[in-house]
Amino acid sequence: MVFQTIVNYTYNKGPDQFWKTRRILKLSSHFYGRRRNCYRNAIRGVWRSLRHCTLGRQDKKRDMKELQDLRIHAGSMEHGLPRGIFKESIERCLILLNRKILADLAVWEPRTFKALTDVAKAKALEDKLEYDGMKSEDVSHFIHRGLLKKK
Amino acid sequence: MSAWARTKQWNTFTRIWHLFDATWQNPIDCAETIGLYLKGMYKPIYHPMSDCGDHVVVINTKKIAFPGQDWRWRAYYHHTGYAKGASYTRAWELHDKDPTLIFKKAVYSKLGNNLQRRYTMQRLHLFADEKVPEDIMKNITNQIRPIKIVPRTLDTYSQEEIKSFPKIFDYPKDYIIR
Amino acid sequence: MLLIVLPNLQEEVVALYSCSRKKYREYHRFFSPLLKQLKRRQIIAPPPINHRNTYLEWNYEAELYSFGKRLGEEFDNELLRQALMQRSYLKKLEEEQKRVGIEVSSNENVDNVCMIPKGEEILQNFTLLYLRHILPRFPEEGIQSIKDHLMSEETLSHVCFHIGASELILCEDFPVEKSTLNSTMKALIFALHESSGLERTSVFIRDFILTQIAELDINDLWNIENPIETLNTICRNEDVDLPEPRIVGDSGVNTILALYRVGLYINKKLIGLGSGESIKIAHEMAASDALRRLFGTAEHQLNIPFNLVLNPKIKSEPNLGVKDWCEKRVQERIKQTLSLNE
Repeated sequence: MVFQTIVNYTYNKGPDQFWKTRRILKLSSHFYGRRRNCYRNAIRGVWRSLRHCTLGRQDKKRDMKELQDLRIHAGSMEHGLPRGIFKESIERCLILLNRKILADLAVWEPRTFKALTDVAKAKALEDKLEYDGMKSEDVSHFIHRGLLKKK
Repeated sequence: MSAWARTKQWNTFTRIWHLFDATWQNPIDCAETIGLYLKGMYKPIYHPMSDCGDHVVVINTKKIAFPGQDWRWRAYYHHTGYAKGASYTRAWELHDKDPTLIFKKAVYSKLGNNLQRRYTMQRLHLFADEKVPEDIMKNITNQIRPIKIVPRTLDTYSQEEIKSFPKIFDYPKDYIIR
Repeated sequence: MLLIVLPNLQEEVVALYSCSRKKYREYHRFFSPLLKQLKRRQIIAPPPINHRNTYLEWNYEAELYSFGKRLGEEFDNELLRQALMQRSYLKKLEEEQKRVGIEVSSNENVDNVCMIPKGEEILQNFTLLYLRHILPRFPEEGIQSIKDHLMSEETLSHVCFHIGASELILCEDFPVEKSTLNSTMKALIFALHESSGLERTSVFIRDFILTQIAELDINDLWNIENPIETLNTICRNEDVDLPEPRIVGDSGVNTILALYRVGLYINKKLIGLGSGESIKIAHEMAASDALRRLFGTAEHQLNIPFNLVLNPKIKSEPNLGVKDWCEKRVQERIKQTLSLNE
């Protein structure tokens, strides 16, 4: 084949690779060492971090659940009531607060939380949900609907 | 930050000093509870990233109790790092060498493997008997309930109490008690 | 060179090319060097920030009209224009007119200088009235310091900027300085007063300026120098025994992280509880806690309403000062103000 013009000698290098590299290096910008700037190393790190990221989304939910449960337990144990009994009792009273709200109340609104434990204690006593250190005097000041009906 | 907000924070995150009497307690069971206090997990404000752990002073670690044959069969493993360097020490032997070590190892293993473990352990103060230094004793403001009710031994009963104890039967007159 | 002169062109080039991506699927090879070059030029000569009025579609009349509508207020057009006119702008205008050779007409009453002190007075009166009404137990010194905070240059310029007045102000300085925003806000209040009346203005002040204390702790705005002595003074006014401090609790006394909690008791009744790293600080905190409870600004008492409609024509009496604060006089004063408002 014979080319008549110089233009036809140029060969098309194809699309620009710069953008693909940018896309990966953006994700590796917080890495350490050559993993940060060398594409060959960075791409491996990015794959790995993206995989961790995917798994981490599940882990985060689990961790938050654990922490909130722990806080609720700590909050209710301050008033001598284990978490299991506490949650069962307030559910039976139709106080439908979820885990996050209960944990927030335990941390930021200790008085409100104490009121909830009082309700739970009264219900536990009424329904005979037994736990260590259960006392009827604890809830003697508390008047609930079941008590009114009995009288 | 105003002085009011500062003291509020100081009050919330203050380190409380607890006292724990280890008499007749199983160290493995106690370690779990004490770990909670050391990490501050018994407080509703707990967060793994926040420094809200407390101090625990444990006394009478010499008088701990193990169930069953544990004194004999529980072994503590140590390796010197050299070949044939493994050694197994029975619990009773270890307790003879250092009466606080069994308790310390129990708590250490219950704290979980993380970077905070060694710093958390620094907040645990172990004493073999009731002799606690004066400056530490002044810090203490709370006592942790014992896990197990301490049983009374026979020698703590007086002669009158033993005599007045209800009898189920009388020995025959010709029965010889050795 | 063209790109430096017209900074918007950069964005246009990028936008145009991004659109054409759909056609070509990939970026061309020239594109990344182009962007790099543009960036470099931008660093060397950053594009100047222009006032909004340099834009082609700027319509000052329409902006003035929509400013009032946006706030839900009826402004008189002339007054609003005057309120937004700064002296510095007029001076500049005069100079330019002189330079060109036009005879300068005296335009003394066109700028907002005369409006500022009047607006300030309206603002101050109503702020004090509202604060005294919602915090009847709070001493006058505290009320004054809250007022000072609300009328400070920081707060007023913040409000003025965020209601969108900064672009409408006719002044020499650009970007508009805080002092200019501050004075314009006062002038705007006067303009509103003249156009819609005092009641409407008071609602405006309540909604835009008084709400600035919503997220603040008002106790931080007024620092009581010596809370223990202050509490003692009040107790003497009340004719009760001086409060007796007691250590309620402590922890880690021998460590640097020591905590003390001190309670103050009068006749075996707890009136304040404080904590701190030393007994002295805890005592002070307990005293300031007791004062907060007395003044009705403790955490559980403080719930400031921002929806009250007060009569702005009433002249408010100052609250009791700390030195003659006592329960009886406070109750009397509250009764008086209630009867006045009715």
